[in-house]
Amino acid sequence: MGWSDVYYFIMVPMVYAAFAIFMAGIVFKLIVVFFSKKSKGTFSTFPKILPRPLGVLKDAFLVPVAWKRDKILWFFIIAYHAAFVLLFIGHLELIKEFALLQIIPHQVFLGAGIVGIVLIISVLYFLFRRFKSPWRGISVPEDYLILLLIFMTMIVGSHLNLAARYNAAGFDIPVEDYRTYLSSLFAFNPTIPAGITGSPHYVLVALHIFFANLVLMVIPFSKIIHMVFTFLSLNIQRK
Amino acid sequence: MEKQKIAELRKILTSRLNRPMRYYNDTCTRCGLCYDTCHAYQGIPEKIYSPVGRAEVVRKLYKKYTRLSGYLFPYWGDSTSFNDPVMDEAYKAVWSCTGCRRCVMNCPFGIDTALMMSVGKHLLIQNGTAPEELVMLADAAVEKGKSIEEFKEGYRQVIRDLEKEVQKRLGLAEPDGLIPMEKKNAEILYVGLAGAHTIVNPAIIFNAARENWTLSFFEGVNFGFFAGDPEKADFIAKRIINEATALNVKEIVIVECGTAFRIMRFLMGKLPFKVSSIVEVIHRYLAAGRIKLKDKSVAEPVTYHDPCQIGRNGGIYDEPRDIIHAVAADYREMSPTREQNWCCGGGGGLVALDNEEFRIKSGKPKKEQIVKTGAKIVVTACENCVMQLKTIANGYGLDVEIKYLTEFVCENLIR
Ligand code: SF4
Ligand code: SF4
Repeated sequence: MGWSDVYYFIMVPMVYAAFAIFMAGIVFKLIVVFFSKKSKGTFSTFPKILPRPLGVLKDAFLVPVAWKRDKILWFFIIAYHAAFVLLFIGHLELIKEFALLQIIPHQVFLGAGIVGIVLIISVLYFLFRRFKSPWRGISVPEDYLILLLIFMTMIVGSHLNLAARYNAAGFDIPVEDYRTYLSSLFAFNPTIPAGITGSPHYVLVALHIFFANLVLMVIPFSKIIHMVFTFLSLNIQRK
Repeated sequence: MEKQKIAELRKILTSRLNRPMRYYNDTCTRCGLCYDTCHAYQGIPEKIYSPVGRAEVVRKLYKKYTRLSGYLFPYWGDSTSFNDPVMDEAYKAVWSCTGCRRCVMNCPFGIDTALMMSVGKHLLIQNGTAPEELVMLADAAVEKGKSIEEFKEGYRQVIRDLEKEVQKRLGLAEPDGLIPMEKKNAEILYVGLAGAHTIVNPAIIFNAARENWTLSFFEGVNFGFFAGDPEKADFIAKRIINEATALNVKEIVIVECGTAFRIMRFLMGKLPFKVSSIVEVIHRYLAAGRIKLKDKSVAEPVTYHDPCQIGRNGGIYDEPRDIIHAVAADYREMSPTREQNWCCGGGGGLVALDNEEFRIKSGKPKKEQIVKTGAKIVVTACENCVMQLKTIANGYGLDVEIKYLTEFVCENLIR
């Protein structure tokens, strides 16, 4: 078995496995929740100024608690999550062209490299914040390791993006090659085009996908599940 | 720790893993936003007194026993097995939490540390290390519920004496019927506490408003809930529900006890009658002109302490303020107030324990709030709060008087 087999494993079977674990994990978590006992009473806090769905969405997306208590943290929470949405859209456009996403015309990957940089700086902030007391005392290894994993994924991804955009030293992998690769995965007919395998950046693409696979697999079983549970948890507070 | 005991503790742990607990276990990002929002941490800045510090004690047990990752890679999330040091840590975390839920308001996910602490309390009962005094009080309340007929005659005697007190204070000719008992089809079943003041003052108000009411044989306080025993808590609350059903009353009115009110109004599911706090009832009488208060008759500065279970967890903010405004010429609001008001540090059964030194320290933010208002009278509407505020006032040598809202109303009632 050579390196090319390792790369192929990461970029094809492992991607399928990661997506399967990610989706099955989320469904599993929701099923477990659905079959758990409900509480008899209500756990509201008062006042409840906005009606429930609106209040939950406001609390989840605007994070007013962080705004009130720690404005720097609030800034990075919002920056990180907003950039994450753009990151998601950017990756969608690496699968195929979506006319809808080009309403505001832009070059793929969107953001001219800023999205990745914002994410990296935010992750570093979240990480370094934990080095300081009292946050140091409440942090567990999971908190550091997840941030580290996300950092690794993003630093490599960001590098690939910047290299492609600014065509640094011929390290460019054209968008079409990513689209061939990713859409072939979706069609269950995986191929890795020569534009990727032949690129000096092949190792970085594989590394990026390796870390991303790990992130995907970890999501349902770590605190990142807050991306789903936030809404359910906030809903109880307003019931 | 013996295997048998660990198995029993595990059983409790999994039995308490309902939907909210699953959210709270999984969602906390340890962002630390709640860190200093607990009065106990403000008084004693140790991690174990911070909401997240407390919650992690219970969470790491859940991680160990309900998650594969906690079992396989305990270091990943710092999961831990049951052992004596962990149970000691749990004791410290749990029995310093008043269940005020101030931290809930300061968590971006609304994580209810108080609920997590109730699991910790339950574990301590199973471990045999729960505070004995609370367990005994809960048992006594359960026993009373089981053999109420034996208690009735003695209680009627006590109430006859209290009727004389009500008669004297209302200046009436006859004491009979001033505190009705076992009255069928009454509008209100009033649930008091063991202290005479919790019956006499409300009785004065009910009589002044010419209310069709009756007194419960039971005390509103729920030591089962305080102790952390959900079955006993349920039984203790159901004694009153059954009594109200048998008497066919329209409304249960709860004494100035925040926890008793919250349990009955919010934690017992749907009930066939209305549940109100005595505070709401007084407000209702005032608004309808059924009682009258001496307008702006108190010149000394007055402030109000929102009992957590009545304010933040009960939604009753304006009613007590309206009542006090009617009487006090100089009302001063605490800061922060309402949902961000600092807990006094006496709730959750803490005031019944031998922990005065701790409660004085954890009452520090409350003391500072009171001092800042410059008030000479602190009014509140919860038995635990009054006791704890008195402890704080004594402990820090504050020149303030602590009063029940019903007491304040009775003193200024126009007869
Ligand atoms: S604020 Fe909420 S999420 Fe953050 S540490 Fe506290 S309990 Fe956990
Ligand atoms: S419920 Fe109150 S006492 Fe308990 S941790 Fe939260 S803020 Fe502290």
